[in-house]
Formats: sequence, C-alpha cells, structure tokens
Amino acid sequence: MSNVIETTGLVKDFGKVRALDGLDLSVVKGEVHGFLGPNGAGKTTTIRVLLGLLRADGGSATMLGGDPWSDAVSLHRRLAYVPGDVELWPNLTGGEAIDLLGRLRGGLDRTRRDMLVERFDLDPTKKGRAYSKGNRQKVALISALASDAELLLLDEPTAGLDPLMEAVFQEVIGDMKAEGRTVLLSSHILAQVEVLADRVSIIRLGKVVESGTLRDLRHLTRTTFTVETAQPAGGIAQMPGVFNFEPVDGQARFDVDAEHVGAVVSALSGLGVRAITSRPPTLEQLLLRHYGDEMAAHNGDKAEVAR
Amino acid sequence: MTATGSGRGGRTLAGTGSLVRLMLRRDRVKLPSWILGISAFWLYYTQLIPQAYPTESDLNAIVSMMGGAAGRMWTGPTYFLENMTYETFIPGAYGGYLLLIIALMSILLIIRHTRVEEQTGRAELVRASVVGRHAPLTAALVVALIANGAVAVLVALIMIADPTFATAGSILFGAGCFVTGMAFAGFTAVIVQVTEYSRTATSLSAGVGLGLAFMIKALGDMGDEHGTLLSWFSPMAWPQQTAPFVLDRWWPLALSLAFAVVTAALGYALSARRDVGAGLVPGRAGKARASGLLSTPFGLAWRLERRAIMWWAIGLGLLGMSMGAFAERAVPGEMPEALLLVLGGAENITAGYLAYMGIFMATIVAVYAVLAMQGLRAEEVGGRGEPVLATAVSRWSWLGANVLVGAVGVVIIMAVAGAATGLGAASALGDNALIWDVTAAHLNHVPPVLVVLGVAALLFGLLPRATPAAWAVVVYGFMMGTFGALMDLPDVAFDLSPFEHAARMPLEEFELAPVAVLTAIAVALAAAGLAAFRRRDLDVT
Repeated sequence: MSNVIETTGLVKDFGKVRALDGLDLSVVKGEVHGFLGPNGAGKTTTIRVLLGLLRADGGSATMLGGDPWSDAVSLHRRLAYVPGDVELWPNLTGGEAIDLLGRLRGGLDRTRRDMLVERFDLDPTKKGRAYSKGNRQKVALISALASDAELLLLDEPTAGLDPLMEAVFQEVIGDMKAEGRTVLLSSHILAQVEVLADRVSIIRLGKVVESGTLRDLRHLTRTTFTVETAQPAGGIAQMPGVFNFEPVDGQARFDVDAEHVGAVVSALSGLGVRAITSRPPTLEQLLLRHYGDEMAAHNGDKAEVAR
Repeated sequence: MTATGSGRGGRTLAGTGSLVRLMLRRDRVKLPSWILGISAFWLYYTQLIPQAYPTESDLNAIVSMMGGAAGRMWTGPTYFLENMTYETFIPGAYGGYLLLIIALMSILLIIRHTRVEEQTGRAELVRASVVGRHAPLTAALVVALIANGAVAVLVALIMIADPTFATAGSILFGAGCFVTGMAFAGFTAVIVQVTEYSRTATSLSAGVGLGLAFMIKALGDMGDEHGTLLSWFSPMAWPQQTAPFVLDRWWPLALSLAFAVVTAALGYALSARRDVGAGLVPGRAGKARASGLLSTPFGLAWRLERRAIMWWAIGLGLLGMSMGAFAERAVPGEMPEALLLVLGGAENITAGYLAYMGIFMATIVAVYAVLAMQGLRAEEVGGRGEPVLATAVSRWSWLGANVLVGAVGVVIIMAVAGAATGLGAASALGDNALIWDVTAAHLNHVPPVLVVLGVAALLFGLLPRATPAAWAVVVYGFMMGTFGALMDLPDVAFDLSPFEHAARMPLEEFELAPVAVLTAIAVALAAAGLAAFRRRDLDVT
C-alpha cells in the first residue's frame, strides 16, 4: 500500500461534542501533505487519534500499515511528532528534552541534532521554564527532525517561530522531502503550507471538505488583483469572471475567476498599467466557498420556512 | 474599573476590588468547600467527644493517655489538665488539628491566586489592564481575610451555640483560628516572591514552613505541660498558648497578628523588587546534553521525582531522629496506665513506642505516595505526557515506570526515616542494635504505603479526575492510627485501614503473611490501574 495514512469515516466524540465527523484522509508516501483548517476544526484531534493517544469512536484508520491504537508503540518508532502546544519539563534543559524524546523514540542522529540546534539558533542549556513559546517549539522540532523517522506529524509547528526561523524550517522540511520522508503538516495559515505541500486536505467541522493539489483547489477560486492604470479601469468590471470590483484611491481592486485571468490581464495591458499586485486565494477564501455554500443553504431553508 | 486612585498608593492598588471578585468567583466551589469542611470537622469533634465519652471517668481515661509528653507532641500544651471538662478538653486536645487545616487552606489559597497565576501567564494578562502592581497580592490577602474570617465566625458560633462552651472562650478560640490563618497567608506571601515555580512554592510553604512550625511546636511542647521556650518560636503554638476556657488570655494572639503583618509587608517589599513571572532566585543554566540516565521512561520518572524523594527523606529523617531520641523519656513511671497498655505494657514500653513510630511514619509517607501520582496526573494534564507517549513508549511502561519510581521512593524514605529513628533511639538509650531493629520495623510497614500507591494508580488509570480520592485512604489510616484506639470502634473499622495489619515490630515478631498479602493487593491494584490506563483516552486539552 502506498498510502502512509488512510482514514475512512473517522468519528470522535467528546461528550456531546462531535470533534471528528466521518473524516476521510489519505496521505501518500513521500509527499508533504498540508492539513488545513480553522482553529477547532479537528486537526489536532485527528493527529492524536493517529498517535493512539485518543481512541476513535467510529470509522477506521491505518498508518504505516498498522493500527494506530493497538500498534502504537511499534508505529511510534517510525514516526516523529511535534505538538502544537509544546510543554517542557520545568527542571530539564532544552538539550536534555531533545535527547530524551529522541532516545525514547529509539535514538537520534547526534550530528544532525547539533546541526539543527545551530541552525535554529537554540540555547540548549536553558531550563524548560525559561523558554518562550517559540523556543519550546524549536526544542520539539529539533528532536523530531533529528530522528530518522519515515513519517513526521507536525501540528502547527511554526506557530511561535519568527520569519527567519520559519525559513529555516522550510529548508529542513525540503531536505526531508528530498530524502523521501512523508510529512503531515497541519496549519491554519495557507501561506505556510503552500510553499511546502504537494497536496492539501481542508478540514472543517471534523470533515475533510476538499483534498487535492493546491492547483486543483485554486481553479475553484479567485485571484485578487490591485492595479493602478493610466486610463480608467472601470471597463474591467463588466468582463466575465470579474467580481467585487471597487475603485480605491485611483487604484482598482477586484477578484478574477481562475479561468478568466488570462483575458483580464490582456485587457489591463491596454490600459497602461503603472502598478499591479496579485494575491493568490487565501485559506479564508478557499474556506469561504464552503461557508458560503452552507450559508446559502441555511438561508434557503429559512426562506422555505418563511414561505 | 472605577478606581482612579489619587497618589501613589491608589495607583499600585488599582483594580483590587475587581480582582477580589474574580478570585471569589473562581473559588466559588473550592472556598465554600474548605470553609464548610473545616466547620463540619469542628462540629463533629465538639459533638462526638461528649457522646463517645458520656461520663467523667471515660474522659479521664483518654486524658491519661494524652497527658504525657508523647501525647503533647500531637495535642499541644495541656492546660486542660488543671480543670478537666469537655469545655477545656476538646479545644485543648483537638484544636491543634483545626489550626493545621486552616493554615493549609490559607497557604494553598495564596499560592493559587499569586504564583500559579504568574506561572501560567494569566497574571500578565491581568497586569496589562488597569491593575496596580500590588493589586494581585492585596486581593489574594483580602480573599484570605474573608475565608479565615468566615471560618473563625463559624467555629466560634458552633461553640457559642453549644451550652458546653462559654462565650468568651469561644470567641477567643475563633480569633485564634483567624490570626493563625492570616499568619500563614502572610508567610506564603513571602515564599511566592522567592520561587518561580508553584510546585516549589507549595513544598516550601506547606512542606517546609508548616512542617517546621508543627515540629518546633511538637518538640517544644514535649518538654513541659505548658510548652517550653522552644514552643514560642512556632506560629502554630501562639493560638494554643491563649489556653481558651482555662486562662482565656488574649495577648499571645498579638504575636500571630504581628507575624502576619510583618510577613505580608515583607511580601510587598520583595514583590516590588522583581519582574512579573520571575522569582527572586533566577533559574540557572544546565546541561546542553542529556546524561545516559535520561534514556528510558524510568530514567525520566526518576529524574522528575528524585529531588522530592531526597527532601522527604531528609525531612522525615530529621523528624525520626528527634522522635527516636525521645524514646529515652518513654519510661514506665511517667506513662499513664492506659497508654502503657496500648504500647505493649511496662516491660516493653520502649519497643511499643518505637513500633508506633513505624506506623506513624508509614501514614506520613503515604502522603508522598499520593502526591507522586498527583504529580503524574499534572504531567498528563499539563501536556508533558503527550510527547512522551507519542514516542515508542507504551502506556504500560509510562505509568509502570512512574509507579515503580513512586514505590522506590517509598522504600527509600521509609528506610531513611527508620534508620534515623533507630539512630536517635540508639544514641539515647545506648543500644546500637536498635538502629537495625527500628529500620527493619519501618521497612515492615512499606507494604501498606504501597497499597495507597496502588489505589492512587488505579484511580489514575480508571477515573483520572478522581486521583485525589486516594487521600481518603491516607486520612482514614491516620484517624485509625491516632484516634482509633480512643474510640470504641469495631474491629472491621481497623481492618479497613491498610496500616493496621503489619506486625508491630520490634514489639512483635516479624510476620510474613500480612506483608505478603498487602504487597499482593498493592500489585493487583497497580496492575488494574495499568490495564485501565491502556483503554482510556489521554487527557489533553
């Protein structure tokens, strides 16, 4: 089987709250898989079920060919995990925590560890309670990345890192990918994932609502343009596939459906473009499709009732 | 926030009122439970004693047991002997325990609302709003004032409503409760400035501070019926020195009040010298690499527990040594007859006393056992269990390693306490064989402590939120061990306590059966806890 992670109809309840509601997720061997969703969508719960820390109430999950609950220990030897909220032992140093977690996993590459400590600019002699959130995250990251795990489960691993460290992180994950390892990278920020991910799954309310490459998903949505032109750009508003046109301070801002971008750009060039910026769709925009659908359906129901 | 203070004092205290309301709201279950629990405890004793001992001669029988030096160690000064009635006896003999619980409530209250808040970072959020520098500490002290005030009023009312007690003495006794609570609140206000870490603050205030206060009073009071000069160095002694219903003197409470005011002022002064979240003692740098020890779940558990085990061993070693040295005074002539019987008769009085020490130590070490499992629960809830269990460490080995370290800790602490008690007794009585005998006697009482550890492990696996329920076994064992003999209880009541089964060495010969059975029960409980833990979700947020 080439899928490293495969879940079908995964269900997890916390009392009356349904955290996972029939989640289907597949991660192919050797890919960096972005796991995107707003806060509280069920990303962390999914990862904890995959780690055997939580027991699913329904559905099935396979990871590295084993069962996450009953084969937890043997599977954990082959993976490394970075939690979203890293908590360290107050009286252990960062260096000790890195080594400890690495050894408990089955050993870590010492040269690689030292290289990562250097690259992430971490002081390993500080006690756990003295680290900031970002530094605690570095400790967990270094420990995970210094292992030779074939699968990395990273739960919003860079939430506390500054842009410089984020860049280092991206380089290292790039190396991992080149070595053929599989990465599941959860995030609520699309920009973090799009640099690295081969494929993404978008989760919302405990369900995967979209899955595919970013290109696959993007054709479903719109690019945002901001332009400043020599001649008035008002005509653009009438073109097919253009939405939300608004003039701002002598500039114009509008969204264009993916298949009409070419036509719009040609039309703009005839207007004497002085400045142009285009922004790819954000996670919010991708998600908005689903919220939008639901809101429309919801309003429809209401209208129905009213009638 | 409405308070726009004029002048410097107003600014540093801005927001105190809102913080007090916030703390009371957060403690809306905890504080009433403490206050009502303490009142119920006192109501129970004031009503129980006259019922259990309906006649004068019954009362005199217990008093003869409590009247000696060993009894004073637990009760405090025995002013009541001069005029033996329920009125003088009940507060004199049991009031000390009430004060102990009130002090503990105040210590935990202050830590909960100051150091814990800073450690979690919530204090930062609060201080960033219109809240003055001294407002959090002031608010915590105000809440302590309210809680201790409520306890004092209820305790006094319980006694005033009872025709047994005179009104003046009841009010004095209630006032003693109040100032003692505030004295320890003030003391804790100093401790929380010194350490960065709430667990250290708890061990320093509740363990070292309160423990030391109790020990100094106990050693001081053993010397004389009215206590000795040493007693007066302990804040725990002052309220008892008012001798309510006997002397009814108010002035010792001035010492408590002064202690509370001076320590609180020191707390304020120290808090002005440090940053939010920091302690006065800064953290030091440590090793960049883990030693070989930190390679297994057992190594991690040992690393996290070893300091606690060391401090417990030192503390109980010192306590044991002083109590062992006291064996010299356990001379038949000074002992009341009833106590002689309990301790095994005049010929074996020393052996009986030392045998009792073993049971007593076991009950205290059981506190450590429960705390160790509660520490593991904190690891789980605090998110430090998750990364470990996400490695190749099974549920079985994580919980198993921690239970094992707890058991090793129990053995070490009991061995040190036993050897120290033996050393104290040996040097006092000039009999070196006692060192080994008393150590063996203490080790003989390890299995009941392991049963308590097993109960805590089972609760952790099965009903993790109910892990603190293991305290019930410890409290029950302590009640049976100390007051049990004084009450006319059926044998079943004693059999239910794990501490009452092992042979009373060196008075009795070693018996294998109770040791084997208790150990088997402990192992079975722990195994059930391990099995249950493998089936449940990890508790993470």
